[in-house]
Amino acid sequence: MKQAGSNDQAFAFKSRVKRFLRDANKWSVFTLTIVLFLALPIIFIGVELFSGPGETWSHIVKYLLPDYIWNSLYLVFFCSLIVLLLGVSSAWFVSRYEFPFRKQMEWLLILPLAIPSYIVGYAYAGIFDYGGTLDLIFRELNFEFIRIDIMNRAGLAFVLSISLFPYVYVSARAFFLNQANNLLEASNMLGVGERKTFFKLMLPLARPAIVAGLVLVLMEVLNDYGAAKYYGVNTFTTGIFRSWFSLEEPETAVYLSALLIIIIFALILFEKWQVRKIKFTSSKTNNKQIQRKEPKKSRKWLIFSLVFIPVFLGFVLPVAQLIYWSFLTASTVFDIQFIFISLQSFGIAITSAIITVFFALLLIYFSKWSALRFIKNIARVGVLGYAIPGAVIAIGIMIPTLALDKWLIGVLANFGIDSGLIINGTLIALFYAYAVRFLAVAYNPIESTALKVDNSIPDSSKVLGVGNLKTFFKIEFPLIKTGVFSAVILVFIDVMKELPLTLILKPYHIDTLAVKAYEYASDEMVMEAAIPSLFIIFTAMIPVIFLNKLLIKK
Amino acid sequence: MKRLLIATAAFALLTACGNTTDVKENAEEQGVQKDQVVNVYTHRHYEPDQEIFRLFEEKTGIKVKVINASADELIQKMKMEGKQSPADVLITVDAGRLSRAKEQGLLQSISSEILERTIPAHLQDVDNQWFGLTKRARVIAYSLDRVRPEELSTYEDLVSKKWKGKILVRSSSNIYNQSLMASIIANDGEEIAKQWAEGIVANMARAPKGSDRDQVKALVAGEGDLAIVNSYYIGKMLNSPDAEEVETAKKIGLFFPNQEGRGTHINVSGAGVAKHAPNKENAIRFIEFLIGEEAQQIFTNANYEYPVLESVEPVQDIKAWGDFKEDALGLNKLGEYNKKAVLIFDETGWK
Repeated sequence: MKQAGSNDQAFAFKSRVKRFLRDANKWSVFTLTIVLFLALPIIFIGVELFSGPGETWSHIVKYLLPDYIWNSLYLVFFCSLIVLLLGVSSAWFVSRYEFPFRKQMEWLLILPLAIPSYIVGYAYAGIFDYGGTLDLIFRELNFEFIRIDIMNRAGLAFVLSISLFPYVYVSARAFFLNQANNLLEASNMLGVGERKTFFKLMLPLARPAIVAGLVLVLMEVLNDYGAAKYYGVNTFTTGIFRSWFSLEEPETAVYLSALLIIIIFALILFEKWQVRKIKFTSSKTNNKQIQRKEPKKSRKWLIFSLVFIPVFLGFVLPVAQLIYWSFLTASTVFDIQFIFISLQSFGIAITSAIITVFFALLLIYFSKWSALRFIKNIARVGVLGYAIPGAVIAIGIMIPTLALDKWLIGVLANFGIDSGLIINGTLIALFYAYAVRFLAVAYNPIESTALKVDNSIPDSSKVLGVGNLKTFFKIEFPLIKTGVFSAVILVFIDVMKELPLTLILKPYHIDTLAVKAYEYASDEMVMEAAIPSLFIIFTAMIPVIFLNKLLIKK
Repeated sequence: MKRLLIATAAFALLTACGNTTDVKENAEEQGVQKDQVVNVYTHRHYEPDQEIFRLFEEKTGIKVKVINASADELIQKMKMEGKQSPADVLITVDAGRLSRAKEQGLLQSISSEILERTIPAHLQDVDNQWFGLTKRARVIAYSLDRVRPEELSTYEDLVSKKWKGKILVRSSSNIYNQSLMASIIANDGEEIAKQWAEGIVANMARAPKGSDRDQVKALVAGEGDLAIVNSYYIGKMLNSPDAEEVETAKKIGLFFPNQEGRGTHINVSGAGVAKHAPNKENAIRFIEFLIGEEAQQIFTNANYEYPVLESVEPVQDIKAWGDFKEDALGLNKLGEYNKKAVLIFDETGWK
């Protein structure tokens, strides 16, 4: 018996090896290479785990960890709730109904993303503060001002949700616009009402797209530092900074980051498990855009106001506050240099957006062409960078690039060349860092649209002898274009406002608007930070409007 | 589609070109112009500093190249760059971080008679690795309506029962609070420091949050009666572009604690020369310039800090608060006890 058992095992093992050898192809190797390249900084951080946490670990577990876990869970729960409510509803209204200012709303709904969350946090604090905008208005009107304290956990959940919901909006809208039409028509023909169609048909079908957006939001919520610190809420990320800098224990900070990564990974696995058996590929003939309904006039304005609420809270209100501050500080802060810095920021952001999207495409398609199942899961490791605080990534980037630099210096010294650092302190390191950090932002919207391309289309192309690459460019790319453009916009905006990474890795002669805003805000000169923040927003608006047009045309 | 490809290619090309020129520039700067640069890693993100750098460039022809980030991040960066680090000067906004940089072997001792002579002994490192540039005091702001200054005396007295539910203070993750705590550990010992933190937590008007300016606003809004704040933020509020903030700052009084005893806790913004500084001479000249009359005047005029150079008068707004006795504790101690301070904060639940 025993022997038979071990024979079975040996057989199972052999067949597994056989299958592996049969399925492994060059794409598997390519995928692994790219994952390795992008995950390198994360791996270096991970390696530190084996050296164990620092001596204050037990102190942290005793006094701080319960608070970190509790606050982070609270934020995850309430942000999910608010973000889903705002993101999905606005995506649906905008895709399904015709109403006044619909076209403007379409891109206005993306713009809350363009304001760094910590600036939104400052703006809201400025509105509700003593001597703040609301206070002044109430005084003008001779009303008793009831001061609402927004600087607490609930306020933080609100501020983060209102500035991050566009992730869900963008991915849900991409689905509604391009994939939903046939099913909608069928549902209508069968006499199913609007509401039922939405809840029973559209919502379940859009789930992968919505969840993809939500995962991005939650990753960003978990690694927010500026707003959480200002609002006095202790989360994992504030804990990472505390143990790294205040307690002087990088090992402990890495331990906390690892815990955070595990939470994120659990979220991703949860998403995978949710959609495990469902196929979301679309029917072959469908590529017609959604037909919009013309509601009654009163209804139209009702829909308008519903869609305007998130735009108002996430964009109009904070921007109004920023504009007010800009007027107060214009004489001291405004500098013609801002225009130059805007151009620089724009160039850096668009270039790194394209690089990052390129890597995401490579990962998604190489892992698809590789027949090995586990490769697909490995490809997902590449997206973890988004969950790790930028400052930690920067360190992860510096470890391998400095090693490479030192090696290069050694090699060049043999030729009598004193080269100095070649990669660090140049744009190369910065672009690499952005790709590592924002891969998830590019990966998720592309993957959720790519999921819906029926495999039989590229498959039949390949059966006819067309290669993988050609099939991709001729057939698949046009089908996933929406996803790719959304990805470019999202990464662009994220790079525009990125901070800790840029601060540590940027070359001397390069300034970005986010850096300028931070220089003021970090020294409690919140009002002075308003002008560079506004420049970020306006620079980000350009591609948002432009690419949005591309999305809708077709 | 085609257009997109072309655009991508164009961008790729542009960046490629951009990078090669960068590398060349770097090489050139390191080779040819080696003597005309000073690379500054600074945590001071103040606009007036730019003006000082400009003045230095005009005077000496040495170009100032700046990397701005928080001191912690800069220290980490220097550590990783090691011998290759381009940093010449490290500037921070507190002494604790400077002594940490020293402990990690990132700074070097320099001999400069000017620095030695001008800066009071307790404001510079014993091994001449760093030097204080400007001073700020951690003071008690009080409500003019509800508190008489006679009721106030020392930091230690803030834990008395009469202030229950009255004290406003920001989070313990803030370096100024950590330094204050470190000074109490150094002066009174760990046991008393811990009791002090417990007492403050028990007397807090609300959970710690926001900035020093926010504590003042909450004070005037009536959330508490006392706030522990940094002197130069009050100077900034008094000169804020927002009229409302100016009004707010006028409604409070400032009290300098521990005048009968050791003096009010002060901290410095300071600078040190990096261990592997490629332009050491320039770095020393740069720091000497920062404690010169011109620079010191700008520091106090535009940023409301106390100058370290005695011949420079503080700006009117802060002179109005009067002279005060400052705690002469060697600021090295702040770095030494920083970690201990944070541990005590955690243990006593000071968020």
